[in-house]
Amino acid sequence: MGPSISLQSVSLRYENNCILENISLTLDAGKCHVIMGPNGGGKTSLLRSMLGLTPFKGGINIHWSENPGKVGYVPQKATFEPSLPLTVLDFILLNQSRSPLFFNFNKKHKTKALLQLARVGMADRAMLRMGQLSGGEQQRVLFAQALLDTPDLLILDEPTNGMDDQGVRYFESLIVELVKENKTIIIVHHDISAVRRLEATVHVVNGELLESGDASEVLKAHKIEQLFNHYRATSCLNSTQIHPHNNEVA
Amino acid sequence: MDWLRLVASQGAEAGWLSESFSYAFMVNALVAALLVGPLLGGLGTLVIAKRLAFFSEAVGHAALTGIAIGVLLGEPPENPIIGLFCFCMLFALLLHFVRNRTAVPYDTLVGVFLAVALAGGAALLMYVARKINIHMLENVLFGSILTITDFDLLVLAISCTLIVVGLMFTFNRILLASISPDIAKVRGHNTHFYDYLFVMMITLVTIAAVKIVGAVLVGALLLIPGATARLMTKSMGSFVLLSSALATLSCLIGTLLPMELKLPIPSGASIILVAATFFLIATMYRIILQRR
Repeated sequence: MGPSISLQSVSLRYENNCILENISLTLDAGKCHVIMGPNGGGKTSLLRSMLGLTPFKGGINIHWSENPGKVGYVPQKATFEPSLPLTVLDFILLNQSRSPLFFNFNKKHKTKALLQLARVGMADRAMLRMGQLSGGEQQRVLFAQALLDTPDLLILDEPTNGMDDQGVRYFESLIVELVKENKTIIIVHHDISAVRRLEATVHVVNGELLESGDASEVLKAHKIEQLFNHYRATSCLNSTQIHPHNNEVA
Repeated sequence: MDWLRLVASQGAEAGWLSESFSYAFMVNALVAALLVGPLLGGLGTLVIAKRLAFFSEAVGHAALTGIAIGVLLGEPPENPIIGLFCFCMLFALLLHFVRNRTAVPYDTLVGVFLAVALAGGAALLMYVARKINIHMLENVLFGSILTITDFDLLVLAISCTLIVVGLMFTFNRILLASISPDIAKVRGHNTHFYDYLFVMMITLVTIAAVKIVGAVLVGALLLIPGATARLMTKSMGSFVLLSSALATLSCLIGTLLPMELKLPIPSGASIILVAATFFLIATMYRIILQRR
């Protein structure tokens, strides 16, 4: 069972630039949550705060049902140098095993890595260099990496970026499968019709939390233009300076 | 080590080995080459993956100041290991520390540190020149197989064992921390720890290789075999193995060749020229392959 996550008055500021202001929210366990909003609205910063990758003010608590479980993460973008001979299989093994790549003769490791790649339709490209893949293919590999430890909490930052239609559909079916297994999934997504298909809880963020609820409620046609306007609802004028260590992810 | 020198000498007398093997210093140099070669090649792949080529060069050049400080503090000019070790380690760690705490681009920062270290070294060498024959420093800067002692081999063996054991457990994590630090952090890896560990490994291998390759040229041997292997390999495993093999071959051939051909050139220069020849061949191979 995936965890629930509660955010209490989360604020984030880079120098004088206010990114997030006073966000309080509870993400229910075992459900799919989609964070949406205009560009620059602070969606990625919110995800990074949940993962403890960015200093913030306020509190974020992850409530595991038993012991803390595994977390899978797909970043918004990963840059792979085309000339570096790092194959798709290498990248998965790197995340999966401690045996150094130049000394990894364990067939079980390779079989497990190939199985994960097959799950995202990339097994036949296992020997290609990461830098040779298209953006969508790299996203698939990053998704396979996130699924490696059968995580209970999956945090995905625009995972379908650059993916073709087939890839997006495949990704959506995997998400549905994972939700059935009671995993908690948090996705930053831009595609409104794709989010409607996911039947997720949607949280619209633009500096602050604008709206939260079922996709069918939040993504009504008359609301969309207002919610996704590239206009910052909050100016953070009254917010205080954030100190890097004044944060908490429990 | 005596038994090995005896075997080599007997081999040379019996005509199985070249006459060069009858010299004890040659056997010492070849053992040093066999120890340091695979390590330089293996670490070089991470230097390339982490884009730290300029950094490893800077650490090598900082050795100039380290040597000068060591000599000024009373260490023997042919082996100022404590001054060299302390200064290079401090230089590398401080550079990395400042990098993690400022927004200055890394290449700019390395350039500043390198310039300061070289300027400091140049200034101190004026004082060193009053104490010793300045030409003795050439051995440390460009390598000299004549100066490798049993003690050096012991230090080399300990350094190499430490680094190899460290790499066996941390190679994947060091690589992941450089390719995708965010994923590494989410997986619970302390990326700062792995960064600093790698910096310490580079510094240690630089110091360990000073006698054979020379402080100024060791950065090149971290880089060239890796750059060659990158042109020829298709996976990370073969990249590391080929780079290690090329670095070891360069060390062995570069040590033997001047002796066999009776060329009066330092071992460091010879090793780098051999490594560069491999690189040229690999580059030509790639160009020909692309034309087909």
